[in-house]
Amino acid sequence: MTTYHELVKRLLDGELTLADLPPELHPQAREALHLVAALDREPVTLSPELVGRVMVSVRGRALSPARRVWRWLAAPRDFELRLRVRPLAIWGGAVAAAAALALILGHLSTGTSPVPVARTASSDNVVFVRFVLYAPGAKRVSVAGTFNQWNQEAAPLVLAGQDGVWTTTLALPVGQHQYAFVVDGERWVADPAAPAVGDGFGRRNSVIAVTPQGARTL
Amino acid sequence: MRALGFMLAAVGAIALLPLHAVTAQDIPARLLERVPANMVDSVQRIAQDAAAHGLPVEPLLLKAIEGSAKGVSAERVIAAVRVLAARLGESRNALREAGIPAPSPGAVESGADALNAGLNASQVRDLGRVSRPPYDPVVTLQVVAALTALGVPAPQGVRLMAHMIHAGREPKDLLELPNEVQISMARGATAAEAAEGLDAAQGGQGPQGQQGQQGEGNNPRKP
Repeated sequence: MTTYHELVKRLLDGELTLADLPPELHPQAREALHLVAALDREPVTLSPELVGRVMVSVRGRALSPARRVWRWLAAPRDFELRLRVRPLAIWGGAVAAAAALALILGHLSTGTSPVPVARTASSDNVVFVRFVLYAPGAKRVSVAGTFNQWNQEAAPLVLAGQDGVWTTTLALPVGQHQYAFVVDGERWVADPAAPAVGDGFGRRNSVIAVTPQGARTL
Repeated sequence: MRALGFMLAAVGAIALLPLHAVTAQDIPARLLERVPANMVDSVQRIAQDAAAHGLPVEPLLLKAIEGSAKGVSAERVIAAVRVLAARLGESRNALREAGIPAPSPGAVESGADALNAGLNASQVRDLGRVSRPPYDPVVTLQVVAALTALGVPAPQGVRLMAHMIHAGREPKDLLELPNEVQISMARGATAAEAAEGLDAAQGGQGPQGQQGQQGEGNNPRKP
């Protein structure tokens, strides 16, 4: 097993650039970067049957907000409710509910959303992409990006062996995505094997292009 | 009397519900879920203004969500969203000047990404001009943005892309450029040297080279 110099590990972790390393470490650093880059660029090919099964499962699990609300409403719960009301109060509540319903319908019939959601991605047009990060000592690692609304809980990586290599495979829609790894829930790290651009907040995001032929680290 | 009070309170409370629901409905649900309340109004105003100018809104919402996820202060997130909105407008104008009267949202967003990576508006326009079918400005802009992010000087990246297109390379070949530059860099070349080598392979002459006119016969990737 190759043991890399601590500075090379920090380079892989995105904390240093090649220029920050002493010249004698450059060959080792380039070798490590090349290795990780090769790992990262490897497209994962799965059988169409498996893809189909996964997508059916994904679609089955994906719930719209309305369905989430419905599930919350429909889920059985234990309640104990004791009421002492006069008939007049019941009629009053019914009138109020009717008035509210009329208001809702009135708003729905005339209201339009001023902020249209521009992007719609076909869920069938996805490519499986493997993400790899060398992060020895990390307790947990995830990947967040434009493909999962920057949700750091959505795509955790798993430790592959004992060497500090974390990995996961995601089904990404075709298109260009920005992403970063989140180490221990607080440290945002750009992928050292992919080009990075400024995120507008003083940090860097990695860029990947997903095409029907596979993924490219753009 | 108590019943009347209860009835009035019920009418009032329930009548207020739809007003709140409509307000929330006007804002994309995920923005409400992911962005602090003190940021939502500002982001929505910027997004509405962008939409009124025909610019894509999704990148703005994602930028706000990204900033919140990263724990960035509201002021800084709003500033970043404003900068992005300005870049989207600049990108759209540059693509129109390039002869694309109605650039797609993806092309506008890619142009904004290229501006963010270090290209200027005239370089975005130049890439728009050479990106005629089958070449997609989304791809050419993203690839040159990636090359710039790797350290290739922006003018050199634009020139390399133009040479690739003039050489008749397949659109999917363009996506390989950043990887090829990275491989050369792993072997010790600088980003500029790596791009220069690729440019020379297209028939260009390095940083001062002219556009290659090689035709499809010299495309080693074509059968």
